[in-house]
Amino acid sequence: MSIRGRFAILGSMALIAVACSGGASTPPASVAASQPAATGGTESTAPTASASAAPIAGGLLEKILKSGKLVVSTDPKYPPQSELEPDGTYKGFDIDVATEIAKRLGVTVEFVTPDWTAITAGGWGGRWDVSVGSMTITVDRKKVLDFSPPYYYTPAQMAASTHSGITTLDGLAGKTICSGEGTTYDQWLNGTLDYGTGQDLGKPPAGIKSTTLPTDTDCPDQWKSKRFDFDGWLSSITTVDGAIKAGLPLVKVGDPVFYEPLAVAVDKKGPADTDFMPILSKIIADMHSDGTLTAFSQKSFSADYTVAAK
Amino acid sequence: MVAPLAARGPLGLGPGPEAIVRAVAASRRSARLRFRLVFLATWIVLVGGIVLLIGSTGRVDLDFLNTWTPLILGGIPITIAVSVTAIVFATMFAILGALGRLSRVAPIYAAATLYVSLVRGTPLIVQVFFVFSALPEFGIVLPAFIAGTFALSFNYGAYMTEIFRAGIQAIPRGQIEAAASLGMTERHTMRRIILPQAIRIVIPAIGNEFIAMIKDSALVSFVGLHELFWFARTVGTSHFQAFSTLTLAALVYWALTIFFSLFQERLEKRMAASDVRL
Repeated sequence: MSIRGRFAILGSMALIAVACSGGASTPPASVAASQPAATGGTESTAPTASASAAPIAGGLLEKILKSGKLVVSTDPKYPPQSELEPDGTYKGFDIDVATEIAKRLGVTVEFVTPDWTAITAGGWGGRWDVSVGSMTITVDRKKVLDFSPPYYYTPAQMAASTHSGITTLDGLAGKTICSGEGTTYDQWLNGTLDYGTGQDLGKPPAGIKSTTLPTDTDCPDQWKSKRFDFDGWLSSITTVDGAIKAGLPLVKVGDPVFYEPLAVAVDKKGPADTDFMPILSKIIADMHSDGTLTAFSQKSFSADYTVAAK
Repeated sequence: MVAPLAARGPLGLGPGPEAIVRAVAASRRSARLRFRLVFLATWIVLVGGIVLLIGSTGRVDLDFLNTWTPLILGGIPITIAVSVTAIVFATMFAILGALGRLSRVAPIYAAATLYVSLVRGTPLIVQVFFVFSALPEFGIVLPAFIAGTFALSFNYGAYMTEIFRAGIQAIPRGQIEAAASLGMTERHTMRRIILPQAIRIVIPAIGNEFIAMIKDSALVSFVGLHELFWFARTVGTSHFQAFSTLTLAALVYWALTIFFSLFQERLEKRMAASDVRL
C-alpha cells in the first residue's frame, strides 16, 4: 500500500512538472486555480475560481476540493495514452490530460490502476473520482457512468498479420478478428456498438468471427509469438501505430472503420456530481480552445486527434 | 576398502561386528553422496536446457530487462505482504470454519458447510472481482489492499477449514474423555487440549497453503495492487515484451517458493520432533 502511494505521489509530482513545462506556450485558462498545484503539489483548500458556488455537501466536487487531490483511474498497459516509466511514474496523453484537469481544479493528481473492466462497469465505490482513460461514450456505459464532452477522437483502425497476407478490408471477410476485452472494438465487431446518437458506424467485413484477449496489445503480441489463431486486429489507430513502430509483424488494412469520441467518465453511483460535471466540461472546453489538448496530442501521437473527424 | 574385508572372509577371520557397521555406514554415505551428485547434475542439465530453450526463442530481451527489472522487482514486497496478511486471516477463517463444521448446533454447522461449499465451488478470480466490484453495490467499499487480501484469505480459509477439521479430529478421543474426567468443560477442552495439538498437526499444511498463496496472490493484480505480476504484466504488455517480463516474474515466484519451502521444511521437522522415537 505504502509503495503504491509513494509511486502515485512521485508520479503526480513528476507529471505536474512535465505538464507545466509542456504547456508553457499556452497560458492556462484559470491561472489562479493552477497556482497551488504548479508550485510543487501543495494541497489547496482555497476555493478555486471555477468553484465559486458552494459545492454540494457530500458531493464529488466537495470531496475533491477537501482532499486536495483528484484520484484518476488509468490503465498503464495502453501506450501512448498511459504507460509506466522505469522509475514507476506514469506518462502519456491521458496522464497529461488528467494532470492538467487536476491543475485547473487547483488540486494534485493521484493515479490508481484498477482493471479496465472494473472501470467501465461503474460502481467504483468512491475509490477513484474520474476515469481519464480514453473511454468511448456509448449507450451501455451511459447507464452507469456520466461523461464529459469528448476531449479527443481516435479513428478505429483494422490491422492484419503480415503472416496472413491480407491487405484489404474485404480480405478479412470470414476471418477471425481480435480485440481487447470490454472495448468498443469488440462491441463493433459484434454489431452492438451504439453511441446513442443514431450515427451509422458501418459494418465489419462479412462473416467475421471475433475473439478477445485481456488488453488490445495482447492481440499483435500473439503474432509476434507466432500464434495465428486470428488474422485481424481492431484497435485505436494510436495503438496500431505503436505496434507497427515496435516492429511487430502487422500491417494497417483500409481506412479507419469508425471514429470514437473519447471522454472523461464519472461513476453515476458515486458522490453527487451535478456541480462537478459543468466545471469539468468547462475545463475540457477551455483545454480545446486554448490549444492545450492539441499540444498534448502532438506530443504523444505526432498528430492532432482533438477535432472530430466525421 | 570393501575389497580387503571380503578377501579376509574365506580365511575364517571375518571382520568384527564394528567393522561391518562401519563399512555399511560408509557405503550408505557414499550412496547418498552419489545420489546428491546425480540429483545436482540432473538439475543443472534440465535447468540449463530450459534456459537454452527460452533463450533460443530470441524473445528475452536482456537490454529491455536491464532497464525494467528494478521496477518489476519493486512488486515483491507487496506480493509478500499480501501473501502473509492473507495466510494469517485465512488461518482465522479456517479455525472458525472448522469449529463450525464440527459443531452439533445445526445452524452453525449449516453456515460453516455453506461457506466451504460456496467458496470452494467458485473460481478465486470471480471472488476477487466480487469483493472489489460487487460489494460496493451493498455499500461496502474496501480499499484495494484489503479487498485483495480479504478475497484471498476468505478463499484459502475454506480450503484450510477442512485441514483444520482433520487436525482436530486427529486428536485421540481418549484425550477428550481424560479432559472430561478432570472436570474440564467442552470449551475448555477445545482451547487447552485439542486446539494446541491440532495446530501442531496442521502447521506443515499451512506452510504448504502459504506457498500456493504466494502464486495465487498474482490474482489481486485485478484490483490494481502493484505486486510482482502487475508490474510484469503492465510493463510487458505496453512494450510487447510480455515474454521477457513474465519469464522474469516466473523466476522470481519460483525463487520465492524455494525460499519459503526451505523455511517450511525446517518448521515441519521441528513440529515432528515429538513423534521421533528415541
